[in-house]
Amino acid sequence: MKKNSELQIIFKHLMRDPLGMIGFFIVMIIFLSAIFADWLVPYDPIQLNIKDRLQGPSWSHLLGADQLGRDTFSRMIMGGRVALQVALPTIFGAVSIGLILGMIAGFGPRWLDNIIILFFDTLRSFPTVMFALAVVALVGPSLSTVVFIIIATSIPTYGRVVRTQTLSIKSSEFILAEKSMGASTVRILRVHVLPNILGPIAVLVAMDIPTIIGLEAGLSFLGMGVRPPTPSWGVLLNDGYSLIRNTPWLIIAGGIPLILTTLGFTFLGESLRDVIDPKLRGKKR
Amino acid sequence: MSVLSVKDLSISYQTDSGPLQALRGVSFDIDDNNIVGIVGESGCGKSTLIGSIIKLLDNNAIVEKGEIFFQDKNIISLSDDDMKDILGVDISVIFQDPMQAHNPVLTIGQQMIDIQYRDKKSKKQKQNHAIEMLQLVGMPDPESRIYQYPHEFSGGMRQRIAIAMALMVKPALLIADEPTTALDATLEVQIIQKLKELQKNIHCSILFVSHHLGVIAELCDEVIVMYAGEIVESGSVRDIFHRPKHPYTQALFACDPGRILEKSKELPTIEGEIPNLINLPKGCIFKDRCSQRIDRCDDEIPSTHQIKNTHMAKCHLLAREQK
Amino acid sequence: MLGPRATPGLRAALEERMGLNEPLIYQIVYFFGNLLTGDLGIDVFTNRPVTTIISEQLNYTLVLIFASITWSASLGIFLGCYSAVKRNTLADKISAILSVSFIAAPSFVVSLYSLLFFAVSLRLLPAIGAGDHGDWWDQFLHLILPAFSIGLSWVGYIARLVRASMLETMGENHIRTAKAFGLPNRWITYRYALRLAILPTITVIGVGMGFLLSAAVFAEIVFSRPGLGKLVIDSISTRNYPIVMGSVLVSTIIFVASTTLSDIINAILDPRIRKQL
Repeated sequence: MKKNSELQIIFKHLMRDPLGMIGFFIVMIIFLSAIFADWLVPYDPIQLNIKDRLQGPSWSHLLGADQLGRDTFSRMIMGGRVALQVALPTIFGAVSIGLILGMIAGFGPRWLDNIIILFFDTLRSFPTVMFALAVVALVGPSLSTVVFIIIATSIPTYGRVVRTQTLSIKSSEFILAEKSMGASTVRILRVHVLPNILGPIAVLVAMDIPTIIGLEAGLSFLGMGVRPPTPSWGVLLNDGYSLIRNTPWLIIAGGIPLILTTLGFTFLGESLRDVIDPKLRGKKR
Repeated sequence: MSVLSVKDLSISYQTDSGPLQALRGVSFDIDDNNIVGIVGESGCGKSTLIGSIIKLLDNNAIVEKGEIFFQDKNIISLSDDDMKDILGVDISVIFQDPMQAHNPVLTIGQQMIDIQYRDKKSKKQKQNHAIEMLQLVGMPDPESRIYQYPHEFSGGMRQRIAIAMALMVKPALLIADEPTTALDATLEVQIIQKLKELQKNIHCSILFVSHHLGVIAELCDEVIVMYAGEIVESGSVRDIFHRPKHPYTQALFACDPGRILEKSKELPTIEGEIPNLINLPKGCIFKDRCSQRIDRCDDEIPSTHQIKNTHMAKCHLLAREQK
Repeated sequence: MLGPRATPGLRAALEERMGLNEPLIYQIVYFFGNLLTGDLGIDVFTNRPVTTIISEQLNYTLVLIFASITWSASLGIFLGCYSAVKRNTLADKISAILSVSFIAAPSFVVSLYSLLFFAVSLRLLPAIGAGDHGDWWDQFLHLILPAFSIGLSWVGYIARLVRASMLETMGENHIRTAKAFGLPNRWITYRYALRLAILPTITVIGVGMGFLLSAAVFAEIVFSRPGLGKLVIDSISTRNYPIVMGSVLVSTIIFVASTTLSDIINAILDPRIRKQL
């Protein structure tokens, strides 16, 4: 019952914040279009149609066709699914690992904490794209490579927040009380740390998804990520780049949804943060 | 000749639950070369009063009515630019917390030079003036310490610096907002002594806010007692300390640890809390905590009764006495 | 690297050249040992030291990054201050929305769109390369679009950070003291408040170097500018590992150096930090 009312509070706040609402709608649209992509696309996104190549927008091809005759509109819609297909597992992986490592670092022995911090800092000290390029150079480009890289670079973000929160709870007095009553570490983590963590993590996730989607698009644009013919927005942008003097529509189809998606998640994340942050501060004091 | 003349000042803050009436009908004067103390617990309105005199109130503050005359100028209607000509020239302020009073990234010498920005003197002259002032407040080795940063000084030293800064401009009115509250007792004594000396030298008036009765007795010529946004009693130090007439003033003295003559297990307090300033109660503002309350207090706001020429208090009990 | 036509003999020769036939541990020690003397190895294709190759390209990247951060930080700081002083006015709200929007758009998309719009459609600015050597104006023109694309999201980011920082600083007691002494408003905003509020921004910029390097890679590709990013991409397609490794290493060093530099600047500006050192 308590959880319900918290969600309600969050929702109410969203309703009042125009940017938050916009963000929410955009995110909904993206999710829905990704789920129902198969029914929304007029053509098979990877189907070649050479006789239609490089058409401008028309009734048969809403946004035109690329150099192999594939329908740009369909590829754009499918791109949303690809973006989420990369973003969601990545987030899940990074949050899980970050959560576990962060809790271990916060609650465990000092030496373990130091090792984990060192690990985080090392991961963070590489400029992300450079790091990604190095990995791609070694193992070759593919979707799983992208996912791996992004998880690796995202772990420190979540890990640090979890660790900080765990540390502060660990030293608070009621934990000492609980421990003296024999509560196990796992229980403490589950009952006290986890609920307090969920809010900030949700905000981080909302703010991180646009970065991740952007990163995937970027790597695919460079040819280092998703392999064609899979229609990631980054791939669309790459095609569009080579054809920039022939048709601008590929770049539009790849870029606009990307921008809208990042905007949407960012607005949503900002709105969430406005709700969750002051509540946190209110609770702690 | 009054340096400061506050007439029937009423100020409220806009809040979500309605206007919070922080000051109601406050009137008093500060004469030349006089030290006036304001006594009152938290929430009595002293911060709002000071804020209104120096025109640094929060954005949601509204002056409902009243005037503040500083040397014939009405502060309320003064523009911000004109106010800048007065602040740091004729009026200066010492605030309560010395640890936060100075900018942490500028040397104190630099800050003391900055305050003199209107003077046409050379930088060297301004620096010397700063060194002089620091010597006056009892800082050892000021010539080299002006190059130091605030965090390199103790709390007591920082407050002395604040006093030096405030008096450096030779103001007509110095406002001191609980300047010794954050310091320990020995420091407090020293600082108050210094203030007295300097005031005699510079001939300024001081508006001194404190809840420490001993300091008020030591330093001030006149005292104003405030409660929940109103002045409940005022008079000379003698009047107030020897013949307090308002029940609140009397209770304050009874609770002052310095005046307790008998040993007892508990420190006396005034029971209750200050009333809700958004929904004011009818009648006397102190009625809920007053030990001498009568029926009249419930409905009628007491008027100000003159006891002697300088001594007055706002209490129904006085009407009886005068009959 | 050699491609599908390599014979075993060629392959063996190449391996020996690259030291790949030594045991792995030797290779690693060799690599780091060379590293300490600044030797990143020899590029197999052109027979020149990797260090030389990288340093030739590094300049372009550094110029680009420097230009990007200069314009975006200046504008961002100014906007942040302005928003803080004029808080909750219409200007502040618009600026806030714009800031968030700018942050959101990935820089390479901005690069592509500015290429499309300004260079291809409007033909206002050059699309390719870094400009002729020695011709300052030409080089400057070639710098505009890439630096703009990289810097755009930073303007928003920095503006918001400075605004929040300024609001917090302006609420502190020493600002109240400064106001009580009648100090001019401009002094209070810049000399008293901004000097304090800027500190977290400097840290952020230092850490942001990582992002800038990444964004520079994209900008170099989109605008076909020479630089570290283009070098790495090209080297990846030819599997020129020494160059890739060397470049990644160099960029990491730059990143670490910039965070250190920002810490040093903070210590210079804030005497309290100096005390802790």
